[in-house]
Amino acid sequence: MKLLLIYICTFLLVMTPVALFAGDGHDHDEKSEQSENKKQDDHGDEHGDEEKIVTMTNEELVEFGVFLSKAGSGVIRKEIVVPGEIAVNSDRLAHIVPRFTGIIKDVRKKVGDPVKKGEVLAIVESNESLKAYEVKALMDGTVIDKDATIGEVHSTDMPAFLIADLDTVWVNLSIYQVHLPFVKLGQDVIVTLGHGQKSQEGKISYISPLVDEHTRTATARVVLDNKSGEWRPGLLIEGIIGISTSEASIVIPKTALQRIDEVDIVFLQSDEGFIPQPVVIGRSNHSSVEIVHGLTEGQTYVSKGGLTLKSELQKGSFGEGHSH
Amino acid sequence: MFEKLTDFALKNRLLILVLGVLTIVAGYYSYTRLPIDAFPDVSQNLVQVFTVTEGLAPEEIEKYVTYPVETAMNGLPSIKKIRSVSNFGLSVVNIYFEDNMDIYFTRRLVNERLQEAKEQIPEGFGEPALGPISTGMGLILFYYLEDSTGTYSLEELRSIQDWVVKFNLQTVPGVTEVLGIGGYEKQFHVILHPERLLRYNVSLPEFIETIKANNLNVGAQFLERNAEEFIIRSVGLVTSLEDIENIVVKSDDGTPIYLSQIAEVKIGGAIRIGLQTHNGVSEVVSGHVIKLYGTNSSTVIGRVEKKMEEINKMLPEGVRIVPYYEQKSLVVAAVATVTNALVYGIGLVVLVLLVFMGGIRPSVVVALAIPFSVLFAAILMRRVDLSANLMSLGGLAIAIGMLVDGTIVIVENIERMFHEADPKESKMHIIARACAEVGRPIIFSIAIIIVVFIPLFTLQGVEGKTFGPLAYTVAFAMLGSLLFAIFFSPVLASFMMKRKKIKENDKNNSGETGLIKYLLLIYRPVVKFFVKRRSFAVGISVIILAIGAVIFPQLGSEFTPKLQEGTIALRLTMAPSIALTESTRIAQIVERRLMKVDEITGVVTRIGRGEVGAHTDPVNSAEMFILLKKPEEWVNGSNQEELQDYIRDQLGEIPGVATNFTQPIEMTVDELLEGIRAELAIKLFGDDLDVLKEEADKIAAVIGEVRGAADVQVDQISGTPQLLINVDRHAIARYRINVEDVQETIQAAVGGATAGQLFEGIKRFDILVRYHEEHRSTPEQIGNIFVQTPAGAWVPLKQLVTMKEVVGPRQITREDNQRFITIQCNVIERDIGSFVEEAQQAIDKQINLPTGYFVTWGGQFRLQQEANKRFAVVIPATLMLVFLMLFSSFNSLKNSLLIILNIPLALVGGVVGLWLAGENLSVPASVGFIALFGIALGNGMVLVTYLNQLIRDGLSYDEAAVKGASLRLRAVLMTAMTTGLGLTPLIFSHGMGSEVQRPLAIVVVGGLVTSTILTLLVIPSIYRWFSVAPIKAVPATTKEIK
Repeated sequence: MKLLLIYICTFLLVMTPVALFAGDGHDHDEKSEQSENKKQDDHGDEHGDEEKIVTMTNEELVEFGVFLSKAGSGVIRKEIVVPGEIAVNSDRLAHIVPRFTGIIKDVRKKVGDPVKKGEVLAIVESNESLKAYEVKALMDGTVIDKDATIGEVHSTDMPAFLIADLDTVWVNLSIYQVHLPFVKLGQDVIVTLGHGQKSQEGKISYISPLVDEHTRTATARVVLDNKSGEWRPGLLIEGIIGISTSEASIVIPKTALQRIDEVDIVFLQSDEGFIPQPVVIGRSNHSSVEIVHGLTEGQTYVSKGGLTLKSELQKGSFGEGHSH
Repeated sequence: MFEKLTDFALKNRLLILVLGVLTIVAGYYSYTRLPIDAFPDVSQNLVQVFTVTEGLAPEEIEKYVTYPVETAMNGLPSIKKIRSVSNFGLSVVNIYFEDNMDIYFTRRLVNERLQEAKEQIPEGFGEPALGPISTGMGLILFYYLEDSTGTYSLEELRSIQDWVVKFNLQTVPGVTEVLGIGGYEKQFHVILHPERLLRYNVSLPEFIETIKANNLNVGAQFLERNAEEFIIRSVGLVTSLEDIENIVVKSDDGTPIYLSQIAEVKIGGAIRIGLQTHNGVSEVVSGHVIKLYGTNSSTVIGRVEKKMEEINKMLPEGVRIVPYYEQKSLVVAAVATVTNALVYGIGLVVLVLLVFMGGIRPSVVVALAIPFSVLFAAILMRRVDLSANLMSLGGLAIAIGMLVDGTIVIVENIERMFHEADPKESKMHIIARACAEVGRPIIFSIAIIIVVFIPLFTLQGVEGKTFGPLAYTVAFAMLGSLLFAIFFSPVLASFMMKRKKIKENDKNNSGETGLIKYLLLIYRPVVKFFVKRRSFAVGISVIILAIGAVIFPQLGSEFTPKLQEGTIALRLTMAPSIALTESTRIAQIVERRLMKVDEITGVVTRIGRGEVGAHTDPVNSAEMFILLKKPEEWVNGSNQEELQDYIRDQLGEIPGVATNFTQPIEMTVDELLEGIRAELAIKLFGDDLDVLKEEADKIAAVIGEVRGAADVQVDQISGTPQLLINVDRHAIARYRINVEDVQETIQAAVGGATAGQLFEGIKRFDILVRYHEEHRSTPEQIGNIFVQTPAGAWVPLKQLVTMKEVVGPRQITREDNQRFITIQCNVIERDIGSFVEEAQQAIDKQINLPTGYFVTWGGQFRLQQEANKRFAVVIPATLMLVFLMLFSSFNSLKNSLLIILNIPLALVGGVVGLWLAGENLSVPASVGFIALFGIALGNGMVLVTYLNQLIRDGLSYDEAAVKGASLRLRAVLMTAMTTGLGLTPLIFSHGMGSEVQRPLAIVVVGGLVTSTILTLLVIPSIYRWFSVAPIKAVPATTKEIK
């Protein structure tokens, strides 16, 4: 009896503290961690087979800025942007050269003056005949350059006046090697000064057969109407060339596309919620994309704000903050 | 020997008194100079190296910055671990040192090596810098700038923050850094229109160089004129926006081309990787104050607040600093919790003394033990750099009742002797005799209490840092109480206690006073009954033990109860790919939801990170500080936890956001610990991130098959979309362009390049050159960025590079110079050791890791195993030590066993106490059990010593048992009640931090109940079995004992 008691006491004595320390500790943490992880698993960490659905109430859609659209047809215009310059229309340019070398007696027009065909620009006294004769404009237009000063002797190898018809101007677009295969005669071009300033449409009327040795660019030309006179030669512009325009049965904005595990998806609305639908992409431009497969006409999809839905799907894998 | 100590004290009473007063003065001095914190600082000894390299992806950061820094740190002394994280634009290398290293010394070591590392980091890839001289507890105050006029832009407010507020706050002693976040750092933006570069034929690098070349001041020594010196300085710095606009970039045919013709110049904000929002309506500019290591939080906060008042006066009309988080109230509350407990405890103890002692004079002698011991502990705390905090002061609160125990026994004995002694015996002699009688057991019992705390000193990591201070202060205070009992109490008794005139009829009553007289009336028959029927006593013990055995398994267990900081923080984690604008939008939605809760007065959210030094979060992570009404005004919860649950309910699920409620200090500490919470963490080390991910997935699959595996999870290391621009070497060869030219153009055009600084007085602002937004916002536009060839032609980027959208790593973590990925797993319904073994075999068999790849096994289980191993040695060793002490005190194995018998019965009381209070078994509860060991042993010792003495005096066992127990009733009850009542304020306290102290107090109080019953009833009863002499030789015993 006595010995037994002593034995029990000693045993208890030694075991209790050991048990206390061995037993306490991390159980609670683990439990909460486990439940946390379970929850994460419910959200679906492994992608693939299982059906994944995100549900959001209408209020939440509004609150989080998720927008819906119905799939439908559209036009995809592919564009490239190239730099260019406004130049004088060389087809509508006149070099006015005095017929005989002589002293300029009078200059009637200055740079910038509009002239009519046949209007007198200057009076020159011929050195040979010593007769004064009139130098006349050969076409309607504007004097864009003048090299005539009263009293000087003007030879016949240099034009005294340049008259250009600025009702139309040339837009010389620099077409780089990478773009060259796509640029064709007749393509629509939006010529713009950029930054929300003026823009105007035209068509490509000429593509240079050679590439410039210095700049390694070909020139594509648009003849632009310039009745307003605002397209001043020398201006730098951007040309947005529509290299193809095509109709497609399903076109959605690029903001609707999300990527999950290297697969493009679109969130489709169904009765249960939103389903990530893998899609195959066809043609696209900077803002829209054609869906070849995965979306049919009339289906309601998330056109903007899909990141929230994607995040909700992948929430479990976010981990705790940034550490470990 | 022990007698000699007391004799010495009694012979040199004046000296002792002076020493006592000196100790108290020195103690008070130390106490007032102790650094005060809320909690013990659990952060590790860590030096952080931050390197900011703007705009660089994790891969590049790792290669160019993290790696050189990391390798340079190898081989430093006392390094525990080097861990690094390479994030977008930021490299953080954490160098963990052994805890005993001095923080300034480690910083110096790191700094020395950093010079080496700097040489390895390519020019322009950032300057590594040490983190603030602080710890996880260092973020003491957060504030934001309130603009009631609504006229200041975010840039202006940020400039006020950076150049006025921060500047001034940094001068406050004890502040090591102030980190700004939010708004926009002011910059001068030179926004380029690329077509104009083409038009004027200016290349981007040329343009940037021109700006740099037109912005400098020089000095040209001095000029002597008329015996005077004129210092010559040439001023050419740009000072305004116009100055920048008027820089001539080029001259064409004599026509100067001004910068303004090519670019717009305007004031703008720097690119951001973090911001702060407020109440879901606006962005705010904010600052985080970090205190210097080792300074007193509340003092520093006090100084900062005072300085803020001064700064407020300097700020423009309508702008004000609004602190939204500070640690001071937490510190005050935490300290108040324990100091209140201390004060009430002392009050209760004194009350007990008055009631039981039956006299003011002896009570005063005993009560003086408390201030003496506490102040003595303060001296030692200051010596070992222990701060006053919830735990260390908590240790004192726990010890309060125990501090008086030794003195009680002595004083009680003196008083009793005064009654019994021959009136002719001198007062001094009686005191000496009384002390000699109980001196030895007192020294041993106090020493035992100190010794039982030894296992606590071996705790490691967070628990060690949390409970270490408690163990220290208990030990210190007990030491103080020992000194007091031995040296001071006899001296004080000799001065203060008076011998009573003894009346004849009182003689048999042994001078028992008031209450004890009545208690004895009940107690004596009971103890007699028990002594007669030993089986009954044994029966009761067994029943009590059985109750304990039944209840014990029903207790839940938790690690450490969470310390309530009084501030609720909410952490949001969003998709790793999210952009700052979107995460801000989402955060503000959450803020608006929170604002609907009645108790919430405001929410301030930090998204991403601001100035580097404290936080390293990427933009997908947000931390919300929830500002609450005063607790008295709460309707939906009476304490923080309840309110937090209510807020969680109200908040609901947030689509696409993982939420986690936490607290400010907890959050920072978690961040620094970077520990893995799962039981099992398998780290796979290797070079290639894709291979790591692939193999880790395989390992996870294999482990998932092993029986018992739960929650297997592989770290997500990727998820950040990248636009990868690869330079086509053939293409650039055709144009004779260098890779560098292409890269620089991309960097400057898309990310922006700094072209010098503009000074406004001492304020300096970067001049940033960047393309206009319309020319760099999409991959197509980036493809249209022009690069000038050496021949002068312009080529679009698209022609020189290939562009690809890929998903890259969100961050790269490294440990011990290697990349790694973690596979975490919990184990259920099976022993973890065998699980690990089986899993290891399965992996060896089924997975063939590529060369250079290897796994390590770790996690909480490792720590637990280590802790268990340590305890398996330390606890038996401690018990052995205790047993040895008992043995050397009693010279009897049986006596020692009888005393040790106290322990299990005391434990039962603790267990029942926990069960009744609904508390879990936790680390503080374990600490309580440890304290209980000591107390129970002490009680037993005093009684057994006395019983032995009575036996020696010739009494029979039964007589001795009854007489001894009756005589010791007062002492045993008093020590039990002082200890118990000293702790009750902690049990009923609801103050800050009480949740950690409560389980401890409950265990001790519960245990005291059972152990007191045992001491008073069971020990006298079964004493004869454990007595030193043979049972039958009763009359002869006295002589046989030596």
